[in-house]
Amino acid sequence: MSDIHVDVVVVGAGPAGVAAGIGAREAGAGRVLVIERDWDLGGILQQCIHPGFGLHTFKEELTGPEYMHRWVRWAHDAGVEFMTNTMVFGAYPDGSLDVMNPDRGVFRVSAGATLLAMGCRERPLGAVNIPGTRPAGIYTAGTAQRFVNMEGYMPGERAVIMGSGDIGLIMARRMIWEGAKVEAVFEIMPWAGGLRRNIAQCLDDYGIPFFLQHSVARVHGRDRLEGVTAVKVDDDRRPLPGSERFIPCDTLLLAVGLIPENELSRMAGAQIHPVTGGPVINELYQTTCPSIFAAGNVVIVYDLADWVSQEGMAAGRNAALYATGRLQAPVRRIEIAGGANVRLFSPHYITGGTDATIYFRVNRPIEGRCRVFASHGLYERRERYARPGEMNEVRLKKDALAALPDGATRIVVDVEEA
Amino acid sequence: MHKDRYYDVVIVGAGIVGSALARELSAWSLRIAVIDRASDIPSGASRANSAMIHAGYDDEPGTVKAALCAEGNRLYRELAGPLDITLLNCGSYVCGVGDGDLAKLELLLDQGRENGVPGLEIIGADELHAAEPNVTPDVTHALRAPTGAIINNFEAVLAFMDNAQQNGVDLFLETELTSLLLSDDRGAVTGATTNRGVFFAPVVINASGTSSDLVAGMAGDHSFRISPIRGEYYILDKNYGHTVNSFLFSCPTDRGKGVTVAPTAERNLLIGPTSQLQESREDASTTAEGLAEVMDGARALVPSITPSMAITTFSGLRASADTKDFVINALDSPHGFVNVAGIKSPGFTAAPAIARRVVDLMKDRLSDIITFVPNRKFVPERRHIPRFESLPVEEKARLAAADPRYAQIVCRCETVTEAQIVEAIRRGARTVAAVKIWTRAGAGRCQGGFCGPRVVAILARELGIPPDEVTRHGGHSRLLSGRTKDYWFREAGR
Amino acid sequence: MICVNCPVGCDIKVTAEGDEVKSVEGNACPRALEFARDEVRNPTRIFATTVRVSGGRLPVCPVRSLRAAPKSRLFDISREVARLVVPAPVRIGQMILEDACGIGVDIVATRDLEAQEEDVK
Repeated sequence: MSDIHVDVVVVGAGPAGVAAGIGAREAGAGRVLVIERDWDLGGILQQCIHPGFGLHTFKEELTGPEYMHRWVRWAHDAGVEFMTNTMVFGAYPDGSLDVMNPDRGVFRVSAGATLLAMGCRERPLGAVNIPGTRPAGIYTAGTAQRFVNMEGYMPGERAVIMGSGDIGLIMARRMIWEGAKVEAVFEIMPWAGGLRRNIAQCLDDYGIPFFLQHSVARVHGRDRLEGVTAVKVDDDRRPLPGSERFIPCDTLLLAVGLIPENELSRMAGAQIHPVTGGPVINELYQTTCPSIFAAGNVVIVYDLADWVSQEGMAAGRNAALYATGRLQAPVRRIEIAGGANVRLFSPHYITGGTDATIYFRVNRPIEGRCRVFASHGLYERRERYARPGEMNEVRLKKDALAALPDGATRIVVDVEEA
Repeated sequence: MHKDRYYDVVIVGAGIVGSALARELSAWSLRIAVIDRASDIPSGASRANSAMIHAGYDDEPGTVKAALCAEGNRLYRELAGPLDITLLNCGSYVCGVGDGDLAKLELLLDQGRENGVPGLEIIGADELHAAEPNVTPDVTHALRAPTGAIINNFEAVLAFMDNAQQNGVDLFLETELTSLLLSDDRGAVTGATTNRGVFFAPVVINASGTSSDLVAGMAGDHSFRISPIRGEYYILDKNYGHTVNSFLFSCPTDRGKGVTVAPTAERNLLIGPTSQLQESREDASTTAEGLAEVMDGARALVPSITPSMAITTFSGLRASADTKDFVINALDSPHGFVNVAGIKSPGFTAAPAIARRVVDLMKDRLSDIITFVPNRKFVPERRHIPRFESLPVEEKARLAAADPRYAQIVCRCETVTEAQIVEAIRRGARTVAAVKIWTRAGAGRCQGGFCGPRVVAILARELGIPPDEVTRHGGHSRLLSGRTKDYWFREAGR
Repeated sequence: MICVNCPVGCDIKVTAEGDEVKSVEGNACPRALEFARDEVRNPTRIFATTVRVSGGRLPVCPVRSLRAAPKSRLFDISREVARLVVPAPVRIGQMILEDACGIGVDIVATRDLEAQEEDVK
């Protein structure tokens, strides 16, 4: 099968990838190809049929499909090419890709620049290893969402949800709206994972019991799930003996975390960040393979699609500049580090040659006035609160970075009580 | 209404023993049926085990299992090619700490040599850590067994059974033995009754794992008792598959071979098992205590292992007989009943050798009721479904050019194509678990999160059933409860 | 209740007599008052679900209420949507159910959904 060469190739047509395609075209790339494994465009937002997207981008509250519809139309208008039902199964340090689809068979795509926008996957049952049997009826919340909203089938009729991230909360409500019962939502931490608004409109609205510092200790049922044993946990997340309670149910939905899809990043030889699980990038969205860029959830898990699109667009622009030889080579390398209250952040180092926004999540909720800052006096902002469920940021100015002494090779990003 | 069926031999149990035996027997012109109550094979101990082909130093010289283990090891090497079974010739180490363990290792060395195991030697800490840098520095000596190997246990059972079926053997799944049929004087076997009708046959072979004492009891043989022993395991992500290069054992204790750390044939990492005696023959669930024991044992051997590396856990029951050895015999009465029972470790390794021994036994004792005429159409080889992921790109391209369904990826984590899944269904897979066993779709790090809905859709399409009738592993394990709007119609009906 | 006017999500305590809000406590800003009034008098929600489709590439199409609908009627709206089967192709914004339950709530499609191709997918 004949190979394809383009200026910029993007892997994934979700919010990051579609925006990246637009960014690349607008920055002057000739042929921009976005490859998508599903038969339609939109990525995970195809199945996120609830409103809550586009508030920042379009000043409207749209559902996931509506949000992506606008971006895809924009991409078509900008001359971005798409290839659906196409899987990338190999990636190389020079950014070239092994690709396949039923029409063309197996073929290679090479490009001036490659942009990884595969998003993330859900942590499965095996990652939390609940002891017990292995019956049918245990799903990650996203897989259940696909069944309900796209395949048109219900995973079950009586559900328990483990994890209070937004996807778990949204699915609690969705199940209710299709007539299922939701017995409880269990969150192992002492704070909720998702947005306050979702606690209100997905749980409180329907009287769904919500338990912090609780977990599922055992799964019961040989063929089909018959129930779970719920248990209270202490501050070290260890089960408290005597707190076990059996809850009959036929469905267990897991919302226990997201991990960047990093097979291709790894295959290509890009350095993977040990905490995020995604590729190490600089503020130009460049991985440690110079012609490979990455943006969106594949780098770090965002809270709002609006930021993902924004990042994707900027990354696409840089990829195009690189492909056309116009991306400035990095002069400096300043590491970004998280302070006492920050572990997840992106980018991981900066060149100092441009403005840079560092996105991060705080480790634990700080309810009350706090200080969001970067070291060396580079940034400071007061906030009313900081929560792990909401992405935060510091903005670094190019002039201030240029003024840093040569010996300053590390910027610390942190939040502390004020 | 089930029809009566007529066979020469009925094998009860399609585990590694039953399927290896079925293949061995299919070289003769006999009408053979294998029955198994599970919906997909392998089930039972053949499904949930360490997948190790033991070298053979572990068994007491002179026992049947010692002889058959070493022979089985040799036979797997011969058969892996023709039967297309993935075999990793990685060798094994039994790791010891201090002089007490060294003495145990020396015992195993002597035992192994007596059993005819080639290449055994005891090495010191330096040599071990050079070969296995991630093993704890506490290890002072190790018994190296170069003939220890790792097999894909699913492929092994499927390969034997597949080849047996190609050579005329009939497999009946979801078919459970309910009673034996005997002649009026109870001196001869005449068949077996099952939940799916009667199988008339003069020979019934008991290869039923944890139920084998109950089945023997149907023939009036109460000479042994099976105790189920639970073993729990973790499978760790492929990213850690090279943490160790060979099969690693801690020094054996009274309870058994101890927690092991080993690569799987697909280069995941497997740790386990525990050895928990229990009453129930059915309960193969995992427990918090068991999993903790596995993790602690694994970390004692390889300290860098952590629970966050896990992608799934599982548990299986081994059939331990209260006799010290395998129970392989042909009963005097009823004539025609053969036991192949209590096949605990090194049962999986010994299976091909067990099969040969049983055939010899049958020729010796049962040639008055069945005749051993060679099957002239016997084909000794078979191919597994192409393992797309491991093929070089040119091979992938060639397959895809011939059949576009090879260019349609269904399982992203293990690079499994639609063509493979359709072929698995053609070869008998009817459940999501069976598809996973044949193709590895859903066995990767996302554990079916992405491919799940697609596998369900393909099964529904190929089997001609609605998606909400597709099951996870047969029985009542339906994955979906109904269509998304059904509730509103049920509600309206009230 | 949680005030959802902004992401802070203050836990507010609302005392009401019938339809009238008497007091609001725990809020960080005055906007909670208006939110509480709406929630007590006439709580509304934007509603999103799916509708069955015939002959489409998917068996269901996502839909939404064009504007926020009365919270107490969401199940009734769900029931009415469940009765429908819409033929493919469906266009984004297409009216699926006008004036659902007679309370002025319009339900529209939120994606394009093509008709199924002739051959089996």
